[in-house]
Amino acid sequence: MNTKREIVSLQNVIKNYGHGEIITKALRGINLKILAGDFSAMMGPSGCGKSTLLNIIGGLDRASSGEVIFNGKDFNILSNKDLSIIRRNNIGFVFQNYNLLPVLTAYENAEYVLMLQEIPISQRKEKVMYFFKEMGLEGLENRFPRELSGGQQQRVAIARAVVSEPLLVLADEITANVDSETAQSLLELMKKLNKNNKITFLFSTHDPAVIKFAKKIIILKDGKIANEQMSSENIEKYTQK
Amino acid sequence: MKIIKVSWRNLWRNPIRTNVTISAVAICIAILIIFQSMIVGLIEKAKFNTTNLIIGEVQIHVEDYFDDRSIYKSLQNIEEIHSVAKENNIGLVERSYGFGLISSGTKSAGTQFWGINPESELQHFDFANHIDKGNFLTNTSLKKIVLGKKLASSIAADIGTELVVFVQGADGSLGNELFYVSGILKNMADNIDRGAAMILREDFDILFSTNNLIHEIALNSKGRLESEEIQKLVSAKTTGVDVETWQQLMPTIAMMTEKMIVFMRTLFSLIFGIAASLGVMNTMIMSTYDRMREFGIIRAIGTTPWRILKQVSLEAILMTIFSSIIGVVVGLSVALYFQKYGFDVSGSGNMSFGGVVMDPIWRANVSVGIVFLPVVLMILVSTVASIYPASIAARIKPVEAIHYKP
Repeated sequence: MNTKREIVSLQNVIKNYGHGEIITKALRGINLKILAGDFSAMMGPSGCGKSTLLNIIGGLDRASSGEVIFNGKDFNILSNKDLSIIRRNNIGFVFQNYNLLPVLTAYENAEYVLMLQEIPISQRKEKVMYFFKEMGLEGLENRFPRELSGGQQQRVAIARAVVSEPLLVLADEITANVDSETAQSLLELMKKLNKNNKITFLFSTHDPAVIKFAKKIIILKDGKIANEQMSSENIEKYTQK
Repeated sequence: MKIIKVSWRNLWRNPIRTNVTISAVAICIAILIIFQSMIVGLIEKAKFNTTNLIIGEVQIHVEDYFDDRSIYKSLQNIEEIHSVAKENNIGLVERSYGFGLISSGTKSAGTQFWGINPESELQHFDFANHIDKGNFLTNTSLKKIVLGKKLASSIAADIGTELVVFVQGADGSLGNELFYVSGILKNMADNIDRGAAMILREDFDILFSTNNLIHEIALNSKGRLESEEIQKLVSAKTTGVDVETWQQLMPTIAMMTEKMIVFMRTLFSLIFGIAASLGVMNTMIMSTYDRMREFGIIRAIGTTPWRILKQVSLEAILMTIFSSIIGVVVGLSVALYFQKYGFDVSGSGNMSFGGVVMDPIWRANVSVGIVFLPVVLMILVSTVASIYPASIAARIKPVEAIHYKP
C-alpha cells in the first residue's frame, strides 16, 4: 500500500486553445498523481502538451475542464491572487533559459522567494547559504547572472526554486541549454536534494539523460498520457520527434 | 534586498534612455522654477510699485467720499491715524483735492487739483520720481504746478508755461491764480494723466480758501505690513471714515495681478507637467515591454500584481526624484542669479500702464513654494504616468509573459 502524501491530483484535465472552430486541443483528458518525494520525468515529442501540463500543475495556466487538486486545494475555484500565494509558498520553478533576474546578484535571485514569503533576513541568509553550499555556488553570491556560466546560472535557478523548500519543483527542459557534463551534475544535484531534503521534482524533458535519474517516467503523446512508470528501454520510441 | 534597490538598478539597465528622460524632467523642473520665480517677481514687484507709486497700501477718506468728491468732505480728528502710523512705523501723507478749470492761451481743461506736501510724498511715495519733463515740486515751489502728461498735452503746456486757474472756493468765492508749470509727469494712470494738477498745500489753501482741509490720507509701509493688517490697525482707532486697502481701491488691478500669477503658474505647470509625464510614461512603457519576460518569471514565482505595480511606479518616482535634484540645482541657481542681478528691460519703453508700474530691472522672486511646487508636481504626474505601464506589468499572465518575445 502506497502511504506517500498526494501533492498533485489531476482528473480528466482538458486544455484547449483558441476560439470557435479553430481549437487546438493541447491536453485531452489527463489523469495523474504526483506523490511526495517523487522524482518524475515527463517525456514526449514536441507539441505533446508537456509544457501545458507543467503550467497547469504549477497554477500558471488554468485547465479548460477537469479537476486540478494541489495539496488538497482545487485550482479551479482559486483566484489568481490565491494561485500566486500557492506558487510562492509551495511550488518552485526552474526554466529552460534560467530566467534569473539580471539586476539581482546570484544571492539576491535565490533570496527573492524568501523575501516574498517575508522570512526574516537572518533566516534568509542561512537558507540561501545552505543551498549555495550544497550546490557548489559558494563564492559566487555577489555575481550578477551575466557574470556566471550557463551551468552556474542554472544552479542559481535551482537554488531559487528549492530555497524555500517547496512541496513541488517543476523543471522545464532544464538541461536543454547546458552541455552533457553540466546536465549530469545538475541532475545529480537535484537527485541529492530529492533524497536529502525530500523535495519532489517533476521534469519536462526531451533529454534521455534525465530518464536515468527519474523514479517515474510519464510519457505524453497527443495530449494524453501514453504510459506511466515505463521501462527505460521504450524511451527512444516515445521521444522521437 | 529592498524594493528601492531593485528599482534603482532597473532604472540603469538602459542608461541612455534613463538619462534622456531624467534630463527632460530636470529641464522641465528647472524651467518651471525659473519661469515661476520670474513671473512672481514681475507681478509682486509691480504690486509693490503700484502701491508705492501713489496709492499706498491703505487710504482713508470720510465715508462715501468717492460718491461725491466735495471739498467739504474732509477728514477730522486725524491724530489717532497719525499715532497708529507712528507706532507702526508706517509712512503717511495728507492730500487735499479740489476741482477747477485750468487754461493756457486759448486752451482749457477741467482739472483735479492735488494739494500735496512734496517732502512727505518724496519720503513715502515714488510718483515724484516719475517726472517726464522738468522738476517735481519742492516745499518752496509756490505758484508752481506739476501736470499729468495728457493734461499738459491737451492744453499745450510745457515747462515754464503760465497757466490761469479758476476754481470755486470753499467759501463760495471765485478763486483764480497764475501758476507756472514746473514739471510734467510720466504716464501713470488715466485719471492722473488726464486730470491731475499738483500744487503745494499752501497754494491749495489760498486757491480754494480753505484752512488745511485734508481729503485723503495715504499709508504706505513699503511692503513691510500687509494692507489688511494696516487696515485693521487703523479701523480699530477710527470711526466715521472709510479705511480701504489698495485692493479695494483698485479691484481690477488687484484681481488681475492675483489671477495672472495663478493663471501663468497653472498654465506652465500644466504644459511642463504633461510634457514630463509623457516622457516618463514613454520610458516606463518601453521598459515594461523590454522586461515582460521577467515580469512573467516573478509573477510565476509568486510576486503579487500589487508588488509589481509598486516596483514600476517606484522606478518612475526614483527617476523623478533624481531629476528633481538636478532640476532644482540648475533652476534654483539660475533663478537666484536673476533674483540678484535681474534682467534689464528698460529698453522696452513706457514702464507703467493703468496705474501698474513695471521695474526697469526684472528680477526673480525665489521662495520655497516656487521650488517645492514643480518638484511635487513632477513626482505626482510621474506617479500617475507610471500607473498605466505599471498596470500592464501587473496584469500580465505569467504563462504568456514567460514566452514573450519583444
